[in-house]
Order: sequence, then C-alpha cells, then structure tokens
Amino acid sequence: MASSRTQKEIRQRAPIWLVMLLFANLIVMAFDAQENFTKQNVFKGGVQALASPVQRATSWVSGTVGGFYRQLNNFGSTASENERLTRQLAVTELELRKAQEAVAENGRLRELLNLKEKTGYDQVAARVIARDGSVWFNTVTISCGSSSGIALNMPVVTPGGLVGRVIALSPWTAQVMLITDEKAAAGAIIGKLGESGALGSVRGLGNSGLVEMRYVSGLQKVSTGDYIMTTGQDGIYPPGLTVGEVVEVKPGTATQPHQIFIKPSARLDQLAEVAVLLYRPPQRPAPEHTLPNVDKTKVVRDK
Amino acid sequence: MPQFKTAAVLGIAIILQLSLREAWPPLSYIDFPLIVVVYIALQREAWQALIVGTIAGLAIDAPSGGLLGAGGFSKTLTAYLIYFAATRINLENALLRIPILAAATLIDGAIYFFWQRSLGNPPSAPFVQTISYSLIGTTTVGTFAMYLLDSVLSEQVSLRRQFASRRRVARRGASSLKRR
Repeated sequence: MASSRTQKEIRQRAPIWLVMLLFANLIVMAFDAQENFTKQNVFKGGVQALASPVQRATSWVSGTVGGFYRQLNNFGSTASENERLTRQLAVTELELRKAQEAVAENGRLRELLNLKEKTGYDQVAARVIARDGSVWFNTVTISCGSSSGIALNMPVVTPGGLVGRVIALSPWTAQVMLITDEKAAAGAIIGKLGESGALGSVRGLGNSGLVEMRYVSGLQKVSTGDYIMTTGQDGIYPPGLTVGEVVEVKPGTATQPHQIFIKPSARLDQLAEVAVLLYRPPQRPAPEHTLPNVDKTKVVRDK
Repeated sequence: MPQFKTAAVLGIAIILQLSLREAWPPLSYIDFPLIVVVYIALQREAWQALIVGTIAGLAIDAPSGGLLGAGGFSKTLTAYLIYFAATRINLENALLRIPILAAATLIDGAIYFFWQRSLGNPPSAPFVQTISYSLIGTTTVGTFAMYLLDSVLSEQVSLRRQFASRRRVARRGASSLKRR
C-alpha cells in the first residue's frame, strides 16, 4: 500500500519536476544565447572549465580503447602463432607503435614550431581533447585556454593550413569553430595576395567537409588545383594562411560570380595537435557618425 | 545501488558519445545518452528519467557548438513523454522499443533543432538528413543496447517478470478452481 502511494505521489509530482527542469534548462539556454550575442562566453566558459577534466579523461579513454582494439586486431592476425611468440610480437608491436607515434608526434610538433617562422606570429600549441558530441555542429575543444594567452576569435591553424577560430574560452580549454562549419567564413583570395585579383569569401558547407568560395568575379580565371589563401580583410584571420585547394568550379559569367568548392588543406577529420596564433587584427578606425543625412534629420527636428 | 548503476551506465554512454566521433565520425549519429534516457523512462522511473535526461543533455551540450541547455531541454521532455506513455500504455514488449526509440530520436532532434534555430544559433547540419541518419543509427544500436541494459539494470525487469509468471500461475489456479 505504502509503495503504491509512493508511486502515485511520484506520478503526481513528475509534471512539477518536469516543469522545474525544463525551466532550469531554458534559463541556461537564455544565458548562453545572450552570451553568444554579446560575445562574452563567461557562462559557457565556466561550464567548459568544469567539464575539461572529464573531456581530458574521455580523450585518454578513447585513445586507450582505440589502442586496445588495434592490439586485438594484431592478436587476431597472429592467432596461428604460438602463445609465446604472440606475446612477444604484441609487446614488440606495442613498443614499435609507441615509438612510431612518438616520432610522428615529434614531427607534427616540429612542424607546429616551424609555423611561427612561417607565419611570423606567436603561437600556442594545443591538443584536441574533444570533438562536438552532437551531430549538429562542427567544433572541437582544445587543451589550452585564456590562461595560455588565448583570446576569442584567435585563428587556429595546423602546418597544413587554416583550421578555424576560437569561439568560447575557459581558463584551461577553448572551443574552436572549424572552417567547415556553416557559420564560419573568411576573406580569401585565389593565389597570392598582390598577384591575383580573384578576391572573395569562403564559407563552410557543414558536414560535407568542403568550403565554398563566393563572390569571385566570373571573369577571373579559376581552375581546380588552385590554392586559396586568407586576405586578412575579415578582421579575424591574418593574411597569407592557406585555406585549401580548389576541387570544383562551376564557371560564372560576366554578371554572375563563379561557384568554387574548396577542400581544406588542414586535415580537419584527423586533428590531433593545433596551434593558436596569438594574432590581434589591427584596429580599424571608427566610422564617422556625422553623415549628411544625420545632419538633415537634425535640421528637420530643429525646425 | 541502482542509482549508482544508472550513473555508471550514463557515464559510459556520455564517454562513448564524446569519443566515438574521433574514431569514426558517422558513429556520432548514434545517440547513446538518449538510449539510456529512453530505457530508464520505459522503466517508469519518472524522477530518474528526468534527471538523467537533463544531465545527459547538458553533458553533451558543454563541449558542443550549440546552446547550452538545448540538449538538456529536449532530452528531459523526451524522457517525460516516454514515461507518460509508459504509465498509460503497456510498453513491456521488446518489439515496441523500436518505434519508441525512433519516436524519441525524432522528438529529441526536433526540439533541439527548434531551440537552436529560435535562439539564433542555427545548426550547421541539414535537419532532415541528420535526423534520418540519427534515427537509423540510434534505433538500430538502441534496440540491441537495450538488451544489454536489461542485463545491467535488470532488477526491476526480473522482478516484474517473476510477478508476471506468478500472476499467470495464480490466474490459472483461480480458473481451475472455478471449473471445479
């Protein structure tokens, strides 16, 4: 009887809990949406700071589990061998793999260090510790945050090319929007700045993994295999970063721009280490407010 | 103790959700936390289902490019709707889990997309394509995962089965008495 009463109570109270939890989620959403609008990201940064130990653990677990499955595969391929040889082989392979991974990592980090010479900007090297858990967005979380000198909108690169920009920060982690995200965009040029007139802007195409270049005059000569670089005119990315390579061109006309599809040169599906360029775009002068039409309205009001 | 088990299972589901995308990106279409939420809601554990829904949603939202709380909202509401249906209709049949999982994926995805879009943060993935893949992935994997969950969180399920068999025996007994 007592348990049935409890069940009844639970059933009666469930809608109240539901409303309370939905309301709490709604408040969190409203805060986050407002921060997205004001570009402060204090709230999400706080949550990410709390979540970063879990993300690091998750990253470690996934690496270990991946290694375990690779080991299992290796065991499967050597099943016909006797037990001693199999163990020896597994141990040797494990050591070899570790050594190979260390050499590969060393190479990647060396390339990241060389980036400073290439780009001329100070940089912070970071590891990718988490990918977007939902299927709806294209972001990654990296292992360095505001305590390493990273600020919002700073460009993120690999030796291959542009990766994206920082969109949220906590002291120990930063969230990076990939260049393939539909909301990501950058000013770009086909070929080298100063040598080509094919200016436009690149924009992500979501999960297709490609980037589209728009507003390039149909009179410009564009062909597959051409390289795309940033122009620095967007106020976020410095000039001269490689975006990618043209893989498809739908030719435009004298009045219609080309439709250009680009494959990012950074391997965005296999990001392990990245570098955040400590680049702050030059300040632009504020627009003049005393426009002629403003004066006219003043005159009308005065009258 | 059952709460610890539930927390552990939820933790594993969240870790899988966050890490499997690194191994092979299409695996992210399987919503592991949603499978756990649906399972608990089907057990008619209102409080647990709602809390698990909120925690699972927020945990996935935190490292995501989406709005924090949108996943929590959608999973909490989905959990309640399934709990509500489970308390009014008999959903004990294992085959019924397939349409329930499919419906849960649709509801969760639609609410999530709605909030992201209405609060000015439209997702980069196309709605129909993403929700279709998610529906296939979550329903297929979820159907098998629920058998696994039965063996891990099965105290209530086994109790219910025991009672069901006792009830059957009792009914037979009563009908045979009537005949006599």
